[in-house]
Amino acid sequence: MSAPADTAPADTAIADTAGFAGSAAATARPAHIGLPPAALAAIGAMLGLLAVVPFALVVVISLGQNVDGAAWHWGLTLENYMRFFVGIGWPEEISTLYAQKLYYSVHYAVLGSVLAVALAFPFAYLITRRSRRAQTAWLVVLLASVSLSEVFVVMGWDILLSNRSGLPMVFRETGLTQLLKDLGVFPTLRDWGLANPRDVRFKPSEIATLLAVTYVVWPYAVILLYPPLSRVDNAMIEAARTMGATHLTVIRTVVIPAVRLPLVGATLLLFVYVLGVYVAISVFAAPARQTLALSIYDAVRGSTLNAPFGAAQAVVLLSVAGLFLALSAWIGKRAEAKA
Amino acid sequence: MAGLRLDDLGKDYGTVTAVDGVTLDLPDGGVTALLGPSGCGKTTLLRMIAGLEAPSRGRLLIDGQDITDMPAEARRFGMVFQSFALFPHLTVADNVAYALMIAGMPKAQRRTRAEELLSLVQLPGYGGRRIAQLSGGQRQRVAIARALAQEPLVFLLDEPMSALDAKLREEMQVELRLLQQRLGITTVVVTHDQREAMTMADRIVVMQSGRVEQVGTPQEIYHQPASAFVAGFIGKANMLDGRAAAGAIALEGGTLAPVTAAPFIDGAPVTVACRPERLSLAPAGADDRAPNRLTGQVAFVRDVGQVREIHVQIGPHALTAELPAADRTAYAIGDAVAVAFPADALHVYPAETAAKAA
Repeated sequence: MSAPADTAPADTAIADTAGFAGSAAATARPAHIGLPPAALAAIGAMLGLLAVVPFALVVVISLGQNVDGAAWHWGLTLENYMRFFVGIGWPEEISTLYAQKLYYSVHYAVLGSVLAVALAFPFAYLITRRSRRAQTAWLVVLLASVSLSEVFVVMGWDILLSNRSGLPMVFRETGLTQLLKDLGVFPTLRDWGLANPRDVRFKPSEIATLLAVTYVVWPYAVILLYPPLSRVDNAMIEAARTMGATHLTVIRTVVIPAVRLPLVGATLLLFVYVLGVYVAISVFAAPARQTLALSIYDAVRGSTLNAPFGAAQAVVLLSVAGLFLALSAWIGKRAEAKA
Repeated sequence: MAGLRLDDLGKDYGTVTAVDGVTLDLPDGGVTALLGPSGCGKTTLLRMIAGLEAPSRGRLLIDGQDITDMPAEARRFGMVFQSFALFPHLTVADNVAYALMIAGMPKAQRRTRAEELLSLVQLPGYGGRRIAQLSGGQRQRVAIARALAQEPLVFLLDEPMSALDAKLREEMQVELRLLQQRLGITTVVVTHDQREAMTMADRIVVMQSGRVEQVGTPQEIYHQPASAFVAGFIGKANMLDGRAAAGAIALEGGTLAPVTAAPFIDGAPVTVACRPERLSLAPAGADDRAPNRLTGQVAFVRDVGQVREIHVQIGPHALTAELPAADRTAYAIGDAVAVAFPADALHVYPAETAAKAA
C-alpha cells in the first residue's frame, strides 16, 4: 500500500508539467475521489461562478458599446474588434496600433519565456546533481526570490539601470563611457537603443525590458524544471559517459530528450505568464513598444477608459494564448505519434 | 583487451574511508569478481576503475599506462549498471548504437552493428522496440549489448543480476560467462552474491570495510578462506571459539588439531572454522577418544532433499553437519553423536577477526 502512495504524487507532478504539451495528464490521476454527486455539483457551480462568469462577462462587454464617462451599453457589435485589428477609421485609413501592441506582447512573451527556460535549464540541472543538502539550500533561496513581487524586482532594476544613479552613472564616472566612445562602439550601442549621443542609456530599451521580464520569470522556470530534472537517473548520465560522451554531449543526447516535455511545458506556462506582465513593461519599454497588458489596463481603469474596447483586447490576448497552447499540444501529439 | 593494475587505489569521503588502498592485478581476458557485503567498498572500487569516481590516492594502470586522471568518456570501458540505465527515449537499436553514434559512425553502419550485437545477446530483430516494451531479462541483454558496442578494453558490471528474478539470474550468470569467454574481454563484476561470483569469475576479490580480505580462485576462497570473515561470508561455516593449546585448539568438550600447528601462543583466544559438508557423524560409541572427535546431541534435523542438515549441540557450541542424501543413517533429536572434524578442513583464526566479522 505504501509504495503506490509514495510514488503517486511524483507521477502527478510529471503529468502536471507535461500536461501543457498535451500529454494525457488526466490519465495519471486516480479516477475515484468518492465525493457524493451533490458535493460535486456544488464544486462545479462554484468553479462556474468564479471562473466562467467573469470570463463570460468580459466577452459580453467586448461586444458592447462604450459610453463616455466609464460606462457601457449592452450591444452586439464587432466594432471593438474591428478597431483592434484595422483601426477606428477603417476603411478610409488603417491603424495597426493595437496589432503592434499584440505583436510586442507575443514578442516579449516568446523571447522572455524561451530565454528564462534556456538560462534556468543548466542551473536547475547543476542543482539536481548536488548533494541533497545543497539542493535544499538552493531551492529555499529560489523560493524566497519568487516570493519577491514583480514590483520589488522591477524597482531594483529600475534603480540599477537609471541614468543618473545607476549603471550609466558608473560607466560615466569610471571613464568606461569615454572608453566605449574611443573604441568606436558607441554607434552600435545607439543602434541597439542602449545609448544617446552623450551617454549610455539602458532604459527604456528592449534589452532592459527583456532582461527584467526574464529575471521575473526565471525562478519559476528553475522550479518547474527542477522536479523532472531531479528524476533523470544519474546512472543514465554515467552510462553515456562510459560510452564516450562528454558532459555537454550527455546533456544534448540524454538529459534534454529525457525532459523534452517539461521543457516545452515550462516555456508555455511562462509564455502565458509574461503575456500578462505589467510593471516591468511599463517601466522598461518605450511607449511605442508597450504591450496589450498596459493598454488593457488603460482602457479598463486608466487614462483611456473604454471598457468594451479593453475587454476586446483582453479577449484577443487570451485567444492568442489559447492558440499557442493548442498549437504546442498539437505539435506534442504529432511528436509522440512519430516516436 | 588489456590487463589492469590497481596500485594502492583508495577513496575517502570526508573522514570516512570507503576504499582503503587496494593493490590488485586484473589479468588480461579474465573475469574478476569484487565480492563483499553492502558498504564494503566494492562498488566504489568499480566506479574508480570506470572513471566515474576520482580516487583519493593511488594509481590505475592499463597495460602499464597510467589512466588515473583519464575521464570516463576517454577510457573506452564498457559498463553495465545495476539499474541498466537504458535511455527510454531511444529505441533498442539506438540504445545499443549509442557509443557508435557518439563516435561518429555513419547511420547505416551503426544499424548493422547494432543488429549484430543484438544477435550476440540473443535478441535478434528487437532493434525497433521501445525500452518500455522489454522484460527485465531483455533489458539486461540490451544493457550488455550496449556496453559491448564500443569494443571496450575492459568490461565492468555493477551488480548486473540484482534486478532479475532468481531463476533468470542463474541462467544469465552462465550465459554472460559464456559470452565473456567467447569475447575474451577483461571483465570485472561487482556482486554481493557468492554463488554469482563463483559462477562468473575465475578470480574472486573478497572485500570487507574497504579492504581486500582475500584474492583467489573460487576454490581457494572456499576451501582455504584467509580469514574468519571470508570463511563466514563464502558459503556456510561452523565457527567454534576456543584457546590455542600447543598447536591445537582447546574447546569446551574436547581438542581439535589442524594439519599444520596453529601459530598462536598458548592460551590465545582463537576461532576454528569448518565447512558443514566436511563434518561426518557417527553414533556415539567406543571411538569417541579418537583425535578430532567431539560428542554432542542432535538438536534439529532438516532434510531438504539433496542434503540433510543435522544440527548438533556440543556443550556451548551449535554446529551444523551436512550429510549427502545417500547417507541414510537415521538421526533423531536427542541422539548422542560423535562429530568427526577432518584435520585438513579446520581453519584457525585469531578470535578478534571473528568478532569483527560477526
